[in-house]
Amino acid sequence: MTSRARLFKEYKEVHREKGGDNDIQLTCDDTNIYRWTAYIKGPVDTPYQEGVFQLAINVPEQYPLVPPQVRFVTKIFHPNVHFKTGEICLDILKTAWSPAWTLQSVCRAVIALLAHPEADSPLNCDAGNLLRSGDNRGYRSMSQMYTRLCAVHPNAGRPNSS
Amino acid sequence: MEGGRSRVLCKFFMHGACLKGSDCQFSHNWSDNASQVCTFYQRGLCTYGAHCRYEHVRASRITKPAPPPVPVPRHLPAAIPPGSNVDSNSTAETAVKPSSIPLKDAWQQNSGQNLVNSVAGLSLGEAEAEEPEPISNDPSDRPICAFAQAGNCPHGESCRHIHGDLCPTCGKHCLHPHRPLERENHKLQCERNKKNLEALLKSQDIECSVCLERVHSKPTVSERKFGLMSGCDHPFCVGCIRGWRSGSHAPGMDINTVVRACPVCRVPTHYVVPSVVWYFTPEEKEDIVNGYKNKLSEIDCRHFDLGNGVCPFGTSCFYKHAFKDGTLEEVKLRHLGAADGSTFIVKNVRLSDFLKF
Repeated sequence: MTSRARLFKEYKEVHREKGGDNDIQLTCDDTNIYRWTAYIKGPVDTPYQEGVFQLAINVPEQYPLVPPQVRFVTKIFHPNVHFKTGEICLDILKTAWSPAWTLQSVCRAVIALLAHPEADSPLNCDAGNLLRSGDNRGYRSMSQMYTRLCAVHPNAGRPNSS
Repeated sequence: MEGGRSRVLCKFFMHGACLKGSDCQFSHNWSDNASQVCTFYQRGLCTYGAHCRYEHVRASRITKPAPPPVPVPRHLPAAIPPGSNVDSNSTAETAVKPSSIPLKDAWQQNSGQNLVNSVAGLSLGEAEAEEPEPISNDPSDRPICAFAQAGNCPHGESCRHIHGDLCPTCGKHCLHPHRPLERENHKLQCERNKKNLEALLKSQDIECSVCLERVHSKPTVSERKFGLMSGCDHPFCVGCIRGWRSGSHAPGMDINTVVRACPVCRVPTHYVVPSVVWYFTPEEKEDIVNGYKNKLSEIDCRHFDLGNGVCPFGTSCFYKHAFKDGTLEEVKLRHLGAADGSTFIVKNVRLSDFLKF
């Protein structure tokens, strides 16, 4: 029950700060407070800029003692994101989780991950290998292409995941 | 006077506001203990359950020693203010209606004084005339006026009782002018109460970083406690932080850098101290932590089990390690120095410790 109370608290906080944080849009499922959707903007000066990526957040019952499950719904080419499932390899979502993190701060951490890929623990080996072999140009063009293909929409509004 | 009283410390006196003064049937002696029996449990419902700080003793068991009823009859002579006489008539009269005793005190002084005069005029018994004299001359034996203490005495200046001096802290006329010890006790107690109240007020708005709620807004009283971190100054509910530290964790989570660390700043913390109030200075924190440790050091460690068991916390344990005869456990730590200069403490030396596999 503590998880529900805390999620309500976060829900209120998100609504209060609406408009303040432009690169993160958190919304909660209308019928289930344990399911959230986030739209994050790709950070500037990265291959992901101009892209808007959809994240699906599944909050476990024991939250915040257990981290939420976050995955990319929008396809993305990044060494720490599984190309097919969208699974994210990020320590704070696994072993370094702290109950003081909120869904908002998790989204911010994912944005930071986009800007600083960790090629040494890749979920997407192709992206990881490109970076590890020093082929920055190859990595940039691949990720930019997928950003343009999947995350940038001509109407610049929210992308449809389907 | 002291003999007729209950040995149980008066709870109103403990808070510096017993209106009955020296006529109270409970003890006003700081060396006596307060009652540790939960009255709610005896009536059948204690909402704190197993967490109650008072003893859960059935009513049938407590009636046997029966501390309050016993002193009542013996207490009667003591209940009469020393200013009045110890006349057999008046004791007989008051003994008939024991329930009216505390009420009667405030007015008895007058009638008692009249009785003294009449008795002195009638019988002129040497012993009787002598006895009330020295007592009534000693103002420290006379109680202070309960009305003045509570705020307003209808008799004003003409009141026969002593009007207490104003306590600067609680703003009540409750300082007995002729009992220096009681004055000091009251002042100390009053200041401590005021400090606690202020700290409590300041703690109201502190939020827990885990549940994001104000700690003092929790539904039950037992949850409205802070968990003080020994390593840093981030506030948490004691329930939240303990739940995080002792909960089940994902495999691969490092105990020392993740679980035992502060969720906010990741500074490792070895223990969490529960406290109703939050602190605002390092000294206040130290006071709370030391108070907690002192309290625990009076409780027998259940792992140590009076010498029958082994406590996994060893010398770091906060609880009391005493044997059945009351002697404390003495531990000599054995430090082993390795060739590379590092030392470690051995508990039970086994040959296998020195073998390499």
